[in-house]
Amino acid sequence: MTCYAIARILPRGVAQTGGTVAFNWEPQGPAKEAQPRTAMIFQDSTSSLNPVHTIGHYLESSLYRHQGLRGNDARLEAMRLLERVGIDQAKSRLRCYPHQFSGGMNQRVMIAHALSVKPALLIADEPTTALDVTTQAQILYLLEELKSETGMALLIVSHDLGVISRLADRAAVMYCGKIVETAPIDVLVERAAHPYAHALIDCMPTVDPKDMEPPTPIPGSVPLLNNLPSGCHFHPRCPRATQECEARFPEVASISADHQAACYHPVHA
Amino acid sequence: MASFVIGRLVRAIVVLILTVTFVFVVLRVSGDPAEQMLGDQSTPEALAAVRASWGLDKPILEQYVLYVAHVVTGDFGRSFADNRDAFAVIVERAPKTLLVTVPAFVLSILLGIPAGVLAAIRRDTPMDKAVMSGAVLGYSVPNFLLGLAFIFMFAVWLRVLPSSGSSSWQHAILPIVTFALTSAAAISRFARAALIEVLDQPYIIAARADGIADWEIIIRHALPNAAIPMVTMLGFVAGGLLGGAVFVEQVFAWPGLGSGFVRAVTLGDLNVVQAVIITFTAFMVTVNLTVDVLYAVLNPKIRLQNNDPG
Repeated sequence: MTCYAIARILPRGVAQTGGTVAFNWEPQGPAKEAQPRTAMIFQDSTSSLNPVHTIGHYLESSLYRHQGLRGNDARLEAMRLLERVGIDQAKSRLRCYPHQFSGGMNQRVMIAHALSVKPALLIADEPTTALDVTTQAQILYLLEELKSETGMALLIVSHDLGVISRLADRAAVMYCGKIVETAPIDVLVERAAHPYAHALIDCMPTVDPKDMEPPTPIPGSVPLLNNLPSGCHFHPRCPRATQECEARFPEVASISADHQAACYHPVHA
Repeated sequence: MASFVIGRLVRAIVVLILTVTFVFVVLRVSGDPAEQMLGDQSTPEALAAVRASWGLDKPILEQYVLYVAHVVTGDFGRSFADNRDAFAVIVERAPKTLLVTVPAFVLSILLGIPAGVLAAIRRDTPMDKAVMSGAVLGYSVPNFLLGLAFIFMFAVWLRVLPSSGSSSWQHAILPIVTFALTSAAAISRFARAALIEVLDQPYIIAARADGIADWEIIIRHALPNAAIPMVTMLGFVAGGLLGGAVFVEQVFAWPGLGSGFVRAVTLGDLNVVQAVIITFTAFMVTVNLTVDVLYAVLNPKIRLQNNDPG
């Protein structure tokens, strides 16, 4: 939802009430007027592409909109982008429709489209959820490459810690719409402070043959967002919860210079 | 694409042949045509004479073969009622029906689609509610009742338009408006639903994320997708206009195919009934074929079924 606000695609009936987007350490004003070049790729790539438009039409109209390219220039650039994201025979593929492509190829098309925006920030909303594991690995590799090649920032939303630890420098753990902990990814994996983040890391299955313990599940289930528990939203499921947690949402506190958590009883304090 | 169209064409021809057969069988088994023509007071000699002159005394299979052979050449036999060529009755009445239904169809599209699109874009606003209330009203009132209401309002009360007949262009106004309003109501409801369905699709969200202007999203991204189910629906509406012609032409005493059909049924004029039914069927089959072809043109998933370059 936060990302939808940045990309200004909030659903009907939801309005942005406040908040700013800071980018490159410079606040960009209220998010409504924020104009960093952002592009977004989505979970379900095939249904995120318009079924009546060809891939070529999709890329070329975007190139025209964002870079002013048209005609042959746009076609050549679209071909170059397709080749860049690993789709060969780009010339004939431009005439294809999304339903003729696999989910992985459509996600590559989405990424090619994102590149046509020349974004400073690419928001990837669970970009690999709908894909099988090998395709997932290829897409992640591609995103990693493009990140270092273009210098764009990548905001990746996922519940797959494997994906996150592969791509992210810093991670923010969210629970019920609130960030409960932020830290560099290696710090988070090693010394998660918030009990929820800690439990998430604990849930990760390991391939260590010495550690044959099954992953520890988090008791209970995620509350409905229109009926959140009082205080810290995690307290009914938290082993460390006290009356304090039930009463008030904890302030964000620094654990070290680049590690913050919102918890009264952090795990490694 | 070509094989798709040929397949649909073959199917259309099969439907026509089946209809010709069905109509023939049903009408022959539903009673003795000679008796229906002359009434049950007639003498056996008179009945035999009529049967002989219309070929009704031949075995039913022979009658069928003869009938099909004639139908193929456009010969539907003679009207029992006034001994005219049955096909001539069609030729005389069909233009009158088209004169009402075609403008009504065009008008209902021109009214219904913009109304539905407007309601979908301004979803849940007073505008939407007003348009949809009007649509529900127009959709719920039967067209013959609306026709009578219009006759009362414009012919009896305001005295600005003629109530029945077809001698001037003013006579066409009330039947056309009656038809157009009821169809426009159905079209606008469907257009709204189709567009709302499309507007909720992920590719529309993706287009918004790309910063494309709202009007451009509607015109370039949403409407081409919403048009696909719309075409099917418009085919139904076109068919419904022809069915509705039976009622509306009756109300306005409009001498088209619909009132001709009612007259032929009342008189037991078998050959004319058959000719009208087959004309209606031919029209419906043509509409359906057009829908199928348009559907394929609009929908790349159908158009590219047999040549996958992937």
